[in-house]
This record gives sequence, C-alpha cells and structure tokens, in this order.
Amino acid sequence: MHSAVISVENLSFTYPGASQKALDSLSFKIAEGEFVGVTGPTGAGKSSLILCLNGIIPHFQQGTFHGAVLINGCDTFHTSCAELARQVGSVFQDPEAQIVAPAVEEEIAFGLENLAIPPKEIDERIGEALEWIGIANLRHRSTTELSGGQKQRVAIAAAIALKPKILLLDEPTSELDPIGTMEVFEVLKMLNREHGLTIVVVEQKVNILVEYVSRLLIMKEGGGACDATPRQVIAQPALLTSVGLKPPPVGELAYRLKLKGLYPGELPLTVGDAYLGLAESLSIKGRA
Amino acid sequence: MIKVANLHYKYQSGLEVLHGLSFRIGKGEFVALIGQNGAGKTTLLKQFNALLKPTAGSVGIAGLDTAKSSTGELSRKVGFLFQNPDHQIFMPTVAKEIGFGPKNLHLSKGEIEARVAEAAQAVGLTRYLGHNPLLLSKGQRQRVAFASVLSMQPEILVLDEPTTGQDYQEGIEIMEMVKKLNEQGHTIVFVTHDMELVATYARRVIVLSRGRVLLDDSCRNVFYHPEILKQTNLFPPQIARLAQAFAGEGLFKRPLTVDEMYEEILALASRPEGAKNVCCS
Amino acid sequence: MSAVANYIHRDSFVHRLSPLTKLFWSFLLMTLSCFFRDPLVLAGLFLSIALVALAAGILKEMLPVFKGLLVIAGLFILFQIFFITDGTTLFTLIPGTSIGRVTDVGLIGCLAMGARMIVIAASFPVLMGTTQIKDLVVVLVEKLKIPYPYAFMFVTSLRFVPTFMQEMDQIIQAQSSRAHRLDNKNFVRRFLSVCPLAIPLMVTSVKRAERMAISMETRGFGVGPRTNLHVKEFRTVDAAVCVCLLVAGIAFVALHVKGVLV
Repeated sequence: MHSAVISVENLSFTYPGASQKALDSLSFKIAEGEFVGVTGPTGAGKSSLILCLNGIIPHFQQGTFHGAVLINGCDTFHTSCAELARQVGSVFQDPEAQIVAPAVEEEIAFGLENLAIPPKEIDERIGEALEWIGIANLRHRSTTELSGGQKQRVAIAAAIALKPKILLLDEPTSELDPIGTMEVFEVLKMLNREHGLTIVVVEQKVNILVEYVSRLLIMKEGGGACDATPRQVIAQPALLTSVGLKPPPVGELAYRLKLKGLYPGELPLTVGDAYLGLAESLSIKGRA
Repeated sequence: MIKVANLHYKYQSGLEVLHGLSFRIGKGEFVALIGQNGAGKTTLLKQFNALLKPTAGSVGIAGLDTAKSSTGELSRKVGFLFQNPDHQIFMPTVAKEIGFGPKNLHLSKGEIEARVAEAAQAVGLTRYLGHNPLLLSKGQRQRVAFASVLSMQPEILVLDEPTTGQDYQEGIEIMEMVKKLNEQGHTIVFVTHDMELVATYARRVIVLSRGRVLLDDSCRNVFYHPEILKQTNLFPPQIARLAQAFAGEGLFKRPLTVDEMYEEILALASRPEGAKNVCCS
Repeated sequence: MSAVANYIHRDSFVHRLSPLTKLFWSFLLMTLSCFFRDPLVLAGLFLSIALVALAAGILKEMLPVFKGLLVIAGLFILFQIFFITDGTTLFTLIPGTSIGRVTDVGLIGCLAMGARMIVIAASFPVLMGTTQIKDLVVVLVEKLKIPYPYAFMFVTSLRFVPTFMQEMDQIIQAQSSRAHRLDNKNFVRRFLSVCPLAIPLMVTSVKRAERMAISMETRGFGVGPRTNLHVKEFRTVDAAVCVCLLVAGIAFVALHVKGVLV
C-alpha cells in the first residue's frame, strides 16, 4: 500500500498586501513514487504551491496561511526549511539564481556542508548524485561555462545529493531549448523509475508533461481545476482551453476524429502513439 | 528591406560564428529564424541593428549599410524586442518608459505623446500609462517593452524569443499583435524554439546551423524536410511529424495544423473504396 | 578587478602552503611597513613580495598589477610632495619662485609613503593568486572564526562577476536599441546616461538575490555549524615558514630599534 508522502489539506495562502488569494482551499494527496505534473495559466498559484511544499511558505515568505501541508507526516508549519531540505529537494526556473559556487563539485557540496555532513560522506554523495544524473564528467568544471541544460542538471544533482524522497521543480525548462528540456525530463523519468523518487514538476509545456507524468494537476486561480491522468485530461480538451492552455496537437486531432468514430482506442500522448492509432483507423477504413 | 550579403562574423577571440550568409527579406514578410543553440541566430539578429557589425560581407537595412550606421540611427528602422523586459525597464511610469525611445530621437513633446498613446493602445496598456512598470506582472512588462519598441515606429520588427518564459495565452497575445502589425505592412523576423509557433505564424523559415543557412523556404517546405532538419536537432511540429510518418503511403498533403490534417483525414475516410495504398496489416 | 583577485593555478611551494601562513605573511608585511621610513628599506620589502611571486611562478601575471600600484603611488606622491616644505629645497617647478617647491625631507617622506602604500597593497594579489577562494573561506571561518555568512557573501559575490558583466552587456544592447547614447560630450549628460543601465541592473540583481536566497534556504543554509569538503591543513612546513617569518620580522624590528635600519 502506498502511503501519502505529500498531503495538502484545505491550503489557502495570501501574500502580504494582496487582494486575492494565491492559493484557495487546495486539497490533494500524492503517494510515494508518483510523477505528478502541475500546470495552469500565470497566476494560478503553481509557484506558490511549490513554495508551500518546501516550507519557504510560511518560514521565509510571510503572508496569511490557512490549512496544512504534511510532508511524510510532518506539518511544514512546525518544521524548519532545513529539516524539510532532507525530505524535499527543490529546483527552480532560473539556473543563474540557484548556482552559488564557481565549480560544480562545490555547488553540490553546498547543501551537504550546510547540513554538517562529514566530509568523506560529502565526497561520496557528490559522486553518487553526479552518477545518477549522468554528469560525472562535469565534476571539476566551472559552473559559468555550462549550458542551460547542464546548469539545471547540476541544480537537480545538488538537490538530490541531500537524499530527499521528493523532488519539486518549478518550471525547470522555461529558459531552456528543446534539447535541454528533453535532457531534464529524461533525468526526471530516470530518477522516478530507477530510484523511486516522488516528483512534482510545474510546467507550462503541456505537450511534454503529458508524455512523462502519470498524473496531471491543473490549477486555476489558486485552486485545483482538475486532477486526472494525462489521457483523461486529453479526453476533455475543454478542461485545458478553459484555463487558457493549448491541448497537444495530436491529442486534439485524435479527440476530434474519435467524435466521428475515426480513431480507435485510447487517445495518444505522443506522436508515436498517434501514428499507431491513425494507421489502424485508416487501414480499418480501407477494408470496410 | 534586409539585404545580407556574404556575412561573416567573428568574435574578438577569433571564433567565427557566421560563415558567409546571404539572403534577402522583403517588405511585409513574416520570417522565423530557427536553429539549435549556438547556431548563430541571436548573433545574426543583432547584425540587423548594428549591435554587432560584420567582420566581412555586408548587411543592408532599408538601404542603410550597418557597417556605417550606429544602432541609434538604425533604431528608427529596426525595432528589437529582447527576451527579458527587465533589461530595459527603468522609468517611474509606463508612459515615460514608452516615451524613452522617441525622446532619444529628439522628437517634439506633442509627437512623443501621440506615439506613446498609439503604442499603448496597440498593446492594450492604455489604462496603465500612469502606473509604475516595475510593479506590473511579467506579461504586462513584456507588453510595455513591446510598446517601447513600437513607439519608435520602425518598419522592421525583430523579436528574440517573444514567447519564452510566458504562458500560452500571453504568448498568443503578443504574436497576435505581431500578426496585426505584419498585416499593416511591417516586416517581421523572429527567433524561437517553439515549432508550433512557427507553424502557426511564420510564412517563411530560415534554418541556421553552425553559422550557415541550411534551409530557406516556406514554412511547409521546411518542416517537411526531415533529413535536413535532423542535422539540426530540431523537431517539426507534431502534426507535421505525424503526417510525415505516413510519407511512404503518400497519404497527406503536408498539413501543419490540426484543422488541416483533420480535414484531410475526413476526406480520406469518405472515399468510396477507402485508401488503397494504406499501410498494410 | 578580476586580475587582482584571480587564482592562478600553479604547482608551487607557495601554492601548497596553508592560506593561514600566507595571511600571516601578508599581515607581517603590513605591520613591518609601518615601522620604516627609509624608502630603500620599503623598496626592499616590495622586492621580497616580487620574489615570492617569482617563487610561486606568477610573477608575469603580477607585473600589470604592480605597475598599476606604481602608477597610483606615483600620483599620490605628486599630489603630496609640494605641500611638505621642511628641510632644504632641492628645486622648484617654476625657477626663481617658491611655487612647486620640492625639499629633501619632502622627497624622502613622500617616497616612503608611496613605497609603504605599495607594500601594503602588493601582497594581496599575490595572496589571492596562490590561494583558492574556497580554501581561504574555510580558513577565515574555521580558524579566524569569522561568521560563515560573511565569508560566503565575499566568495559568492566574486562568482557573480561574470554574470553581472553579461547582464550589463544585455542591458546596454537593449537600451542602445532604443537610441540611448552613452558617449555624450556633456559630463552631466554622460553621468545621467548611466541611469537606464543602472536601474535595470539593480532591479534584476535584487530579484535574482531573492530567488537565490530561496534556493539556499531549501538547501539548509545558515542553520548551524558547517562541515567543509576540502580543508587545507596547517602542516609542519607551514609552522616552519611562519616561525621563520616571525624571526625575520623580529630581526627587522630589532635592527630598526638599534637604529641600523630606518
């Protein structure tokens, strides 16, 4: 039985001086090992949600906080950010605003040193984190020379070096090109599948989210508008358009064809799936 | 409008980034410049308003040679929208911010006010003219930056990743504004990673790879050239990839949008004997 | 700026010494330079710094820095020398008048002040050239008990120098594209023309600082005592060097007291 590692209960938050709530009575649970995508238009509260999950809200960012966030049973309101750091790793949008050290090795050591891990263990953990992410060759490089995709992967390595069971990412590929985006998502897929990390990733790029995540949370105006699997979301394109998001083209095409009985089986999440479905439907028509 | 002839550009370190590019862009065109990181797209864009000057060859903008003109002079002809609006916003009100460019052109006070009003209206920020631009949302700040470019009334608009870092709605709003300006006669050149965006808006695509022009053709022709695109690590939009997968059967007429492909499939399905040369079981 | 504080990688005896030893050396030089008034002695101290740079294999890189220090010292001397009027006049700038008078006391005094300035300043780039920042920070925090956040601020601000320079380039390009000019003849205008560059830089920096703070919080920054991955130990050879330096220093002071070295 999978236990809920993240439990959000009736969460509301308002920034100081704001007239509207950033988060409005949000409730959901995430079980261990899930790969969850969070999406929605600007202002939906996605970033605020991430900040509540890693304790920045309420410890670092002030405001009016209602409800509760439980990480592995611990209430974030009564647990410090540093303690939460061992359970929840965070990666943000701007690579330049996460990297503090001039060299990759020091960057990954940073969090471990902060938590007073013994030096020998720090050394081992750095090697392990870099191996997991597949960037062991970058260990002695200067951080200023790296590409955007490499920087973000270093940021991910720095977060997982603290051995959290949960990884949170707030639009990690926003500043990256398609190659960098894919590199990051492949790393997340590997961390989820091979190392059992629970992953919560906020993204605007719906096309790539549906390919990788097993569950999609759509947010709107501080609340949850939908909580379903990618396939279920594609089967209701109005859900995405109502929050100002664009359904993935192949999904939309298959949906419209299905209405005319021209698409068999489940709606596709990738171009590959769509090809198989379309091939089948066209050859069916051929034999008719 | 834009005449690039055998353009070479070398960094001060000696690394050559652009190797002999030649092409022309006519008035009113809507061109997308694509290529992977490091291909030289931004370097090329910056040649258009003399932020960078050719180390060999030439760039002509509306008759002016960029090697002999300053960025200030070219700012009347070429409006450059940068990726990050926070790199230029500094005035206490939106009106002053939009008016900064025209003020640098030494226009009369009346002329500046008129241009500010016009630009603000084009981007839908008229009621924010008295606000502090630094306190606006990111999408609004991007529109302030856009208006600041428009107030110079350039004939050519150059946009560096206009939708990166924004949500879908905000991105579409900016592109719709750009489309309207194109319909009014402006020449548009934009750089983006979003192939769906290119398929929706651009009529002509120039593919840059390692400082050379790999492809320069209509949108449709470029996205149905998979062998060449593979060299650049670029993926055509989903619909084009899907249709291309059926290239062997010759089923589709190179659709780019969901609507186009949908119509073609409906047509195929309603044929009396069905498609004979359909993929076999 | 970066030439002054840049680490230059070499495998020399000086590089291998503990940062603590090098800090002690730097401090000793600064102290000694306050004792002496003879420009020749001070010049000798400066020469010793240059010899250390040579031993470390970084003399070539230090020459531009030393040259810069000489220029500053020269300017200083030029501004001061005409105001010291004790002693015998050596010459005046405008012959036959008392304008621009240079006396022997003045000349020696100013040369000494200039040389002292150079000695005080010159050991710093040599120290930074032979010591990695991270090692220096560890020593500052662990041995000299400076609170970690201050040492961290120093190190991190250096890491951001290239980032700031890139941001500044982008800002300059964005504003130039709006016909903003940076080359005004008018001094006041040129001063004001920095505003459209300074404000965006400040704004983006403050925003970035906030995001950095959040990222650091999520990695446990500032909670308590830290460990360090790399600690450069204070070995026997370091103790030996420090003892030698101390002995030399005491010897110098003794010679000074005895009146041999002025």
